[in-house]
Amino acid sequence: MRNGLAGLVAGSALLLSHSLKAQDYVRRAPDLDRLTQELFAEIQSDQVPYEDLYETLLQYYQTPINLNTATREELRGLLLLNENQITTLLKHRQENGDLLSVYELQSIEGYDLRTINRILPFVTVQSSNANRSRGTLWQRIAREDNNALFLRYERVLQQRQGYTPPTIYQGQPTTRYLGSPDKMLIRYRVSHTKDFSLGFSLEKDAGEQFIWNPKNGQFGADYVSAHFVLQERGRLKTLALGDYQLQFGQGLLLSSGLGVGKGAETITTLRRSSLGVRAYSSLLENTFFRGGAATVQVAPTVQATAFVSHKNVDANLQQSQDSLAQFDEFTSGLLYTGFHRTASELANRHQLQETIGGGNATYTSRDGNLAIGATGVFTHYGTALLKRPEPYNRFEFSGKENLALSLNYSYVYRNFLLFGETARSSGGGLGTVNGLLASLGPQVDAALLVRHYDADFHTLYGNAFSENTRNINETGVYLGLKVRPIAQWEISAYYDQFRFPWLRYRASSPTDGHDALVRVAYSPTKTSLLYVQARQRLKPRDLATADLVNIAANRVLPLPGEQLRQSLLVYYNTDVSTALSLRTRMQTSRLRDDTNLAWRSGYALAQDVSYQLNRSLKLTARYSLFDADDYDTRQYVYEQDVLLAVSIPALYGQGTRVYGIAEIRLNRSMTLWLRYAETRYRHQGTIGSGLETIQGSLRNEVKAQLRVKF
Amino acid sequence: MQHCLPRYLSIIGFFWACSGGLTAAAQGNGPGVRGARAAGLSNASVALAGEVWSMGNNVAGIGEIKQPSVGFYGENRYFSSALNVGALTVALPLGRQPNTGTPTDGMAAPQVVAPAARTWARHGVVAFEAQRFGGVLYNETRVGAGYGYRFGQISLGARVDMLQVSIEGLGSRRVLLGTLGGQIEVLPNRLTFGASLYNLSQTRLASYQDERVPTVLKAGLAYRPGSQVLLVVETEKDVERAANFKAGLEYRPVPVLAARLGLASLTEQASAGIGLATGSFQLDYAAAFQQALGFSHHLSISKSWGGKQ
Repeated sequence: MRNGLAGLVAGSALLLSHSLKAQDYVRRAPDLDRLTQELFAEIQSDQVPYEDLYETLLQYYQTPINLNTATREELRGLLLLNENQITTLLKHRQENGDLLSVYELQSIEGYDLRTINRILPFVTVQSSNANRSRGTLWQRIAREDNNALFLRYERVLQQRQGYTPPTIYQGQPTTRYLGSPDKMLIRYRVSHTKDFSLGFSLEKDAGEQFIWNPKNGQFGADYVSAHFVLQERGRLKTLALGDYQLQFGQGLLLSSGLGVGKGAETITTLRRSSLGVRAYSSLLENTFFRGGAATVQVAPTVQATAFVSHKNVDANLQQSQDSLAQFDEFTSGLLYTGFHRTASELANRHQLQETIGGGNATYTSRDGNLAIGATGVFTHYGTALLKRPEPYNRFEFSGKENLALSLNYSYVYRNFLLFGETARSSGGGLGTVNGLLASLGPQVDAALLVRHYDADFHTLYGNAFSENTRNINETGVYLGLKVRPIAQWEISAYYDQFRFPWLRYRASSPTDGHDALVRVAYSPTKTSLLYVQARQRLKPRDLATADLVNIAANRVLPLPGEQLRQSLLVYYNTDVSTALSLRTRMQTSRLRDDTNLAWRSGYALAQDVSYQLNRSLKLTARYSLFDADDYDTRQYVYEQDVLLAVSIPALYGQGTRVYGIAEIRLNRSMTLWLRYAETRYRHQGTIGSGLETIQGSLRNEVKAQLRVKF
Repeated sequence: MQHCLPRYLSIIGFFWACSGGLTAAAQGNGPGVRGARAAGLSNASVALAGEVWSMGNNVAGIGEIKQPSVGFYGENRYFSSALNVGALTVALPLGRQPNTGTPTDGMAAPQVVAPAARTWARHGVVAFEAQRFGGVLYNETRVGAGYGYRFGQISLGARVDMLQVSIEGLGSRRVLLGTLGGQIEVLPNRLTFGASLYNLSQTRLASYQDERVPTVLKAGLAYRPGSQVLLVVETEKDVERAANFKAGLEYRPVPVLAARLGLASLTEQASAGIGLATGSFQLDYAAAFQQALGFSHHLSISKSWGGKQ
């Protein structure tokens, strides 16, 4: 490490447009794979919008934060700096004026090389951020080198059940997909930090049709999204038209993008940042608002945001059979998959009108240490919602309208950061989340977070910290710790204890559990990292009937089983040379449905090789083996994919998973990615179920993506 | 009321079963908790030393006490008077120390002194303790004497207890117990390892169902990354129970004040506490929370004499 940062320059930037900025340092491509793995403890569900996280990180990369103008909140949004480091940077800026180059970071207290290496891809140092000096808006958009058009094509090569000709069953033709098995995407975006963002996306999923039917809101591709965002026009801080996302306070009412929950990053990810209005350009078909939003600087310390959104979301509408029922027509819930492949999926497409309006006002003290905000969100559905009459739905949202109001705060005092948000929704349900991050010294960070969400607290777009996927019916305490005992070593741990006061889906009594993680990371050089991570989670779940019969003898009530999951992850990543990097990942988990039932286990081992042949060709490949007893012990293994795409297949059964990616730079403006992946199963005659069934034991996918820069 | 007694006792038994971990406890005749500092750290206290409460947490730790000290400790679990604990402990260093050390108690932030320059009581430290757990229907009383000696990086200690268990209507039983402890300062002022074995003779309490006083082995580490922070981890194994893992964090922004957090895996209990250290007085409070049973409170106060020798 004697050479300091100079060695970093050796890292060649792959995605970089060679813009001559006021700095002499070439930014490296971030190792998003590694970062994502650090931010997520271990992927245990497909509920988390990894696309969004990945997108946000990439957004940062393409429009890096200017360290000279970034506010405290923006620096927190990086998730990679602790509060002490942010404070010392701001102090450094105050005392010594603007930074001259990123090398100056080394002289700031609390910035060790690991931290600097982690944030380098996402930051820049520029003298000023005067947009006007760069010509009019249209000239700036036309000249912006951060623009790209993506064309993507994907297909599974085997024939799946849904694409075979329909058969006749009981006089009716069976359900089949109506469209072709190709998945296609066109996407364009041009953006510049704190100036503008403009883009659109068109997507057709496998099995969906190309239909031009404006009456049903179908314009060729099944999913269409566009946005135009302006920033920093005097007192108008942000204006968003089209599709956008909102995040305020702790995300209890409005949350988007970086809803990173419990992860191996045990401290900084606890707190959500008030990112405000952001452009939306992901492909998730229902996690955005559609309409307009504006943020205005009302006073030097006060910003106000107002937004309105109207869109039609997927839902299954039902007619009430009972003339005395609460609603004549209702829906049992929104459908979030975004698939419109079969006749019934199409019948549910965009059936429910959703109108949302609201706003936020935030006061930030001049030094940025204190922020207080108030948020209101009002939702109106065209058709009443009424969940299925199950006991666990007893307190779920029903009706047409929901008004949620919240107050949030964030306060820095010396080495402590206090933050929280408390909200009330229609019907009186309360939700609150409060936390404390403390830098107890240069080697120790600690975190504490307490949350409580009533069983009848209804936040429809919130994603604050919780064990459940939604902020409802939960009380919990989280303790996190991070210790750097000696250089190059880091130990992170958390313990989270939670209780669900009411029933949940597949848990037919109030339950409580815990989740604990310990992770030891060792980075002997700046390009290699070895970590070992152990996690244990106890989360009760109803037992299968067969199991209940077996143990009913010693059980008074059919209580949920104490489901215990233990997992271990070993990860090693090293760059043998600037061109060759190797990565090994071993993950295993075991699961027990109740104390006296058998363990079931899953295992996956993956070896990656990545080789940069020359400036225009990079090859990446993985060979992995997996062996998991059943779906419950499935292994999610993060895979590299074409740029902007995320692939986290669930592997269970026995077999191998192999993929290869070629990244080819055709010329200065065009880059092509080709990806081939295959999964081979042992002892299986078919793969998948329902309409996704494949006959045989092999499934392979091809993917191609072209990026054109103008 | 006679017929209610078994039910009442079975409820208490349920409490023991549920709270066996944080304290492998005074209940079930285990080693128990001493001092609200240890309680605030979820009793991950086997590697702590130099305070009067080391007498119960790890008797080797009393070898570092430099002044005569006395402490009182009170505990209440789940707002039941049948689960109260009270303890009184006295520690006396034997032999004068050559140098005039500033008064230290285990609470004060460690002064960074070369280990060679630090001295301990020349003939070791002797301590006495009286403790009582329970109410009228069931109680445990113990009196104990302990001795700790420190030489170089190593401390060793031993204690002997007379334990009396009394159950209303069934009479009482007295037994003798032996406990051994050891501590090693692996890295001076940074890392200490401690281990303690309670009831090494596996004393039998009753022949019915071969009921024995629990034999409990504890081993743990205390780590000081900086002068303000103390991290402790510990594992505790009772021969007849699942292993318990405990961890605690103590933060001392100023020498006078300490804040503590702790966790215990077996009981799924979280604890938090604060401490004040003013001159010769040391006052601590801790609260622990268990999801099913609720809160328990711990309070301790100790005083030492003869700061300047």
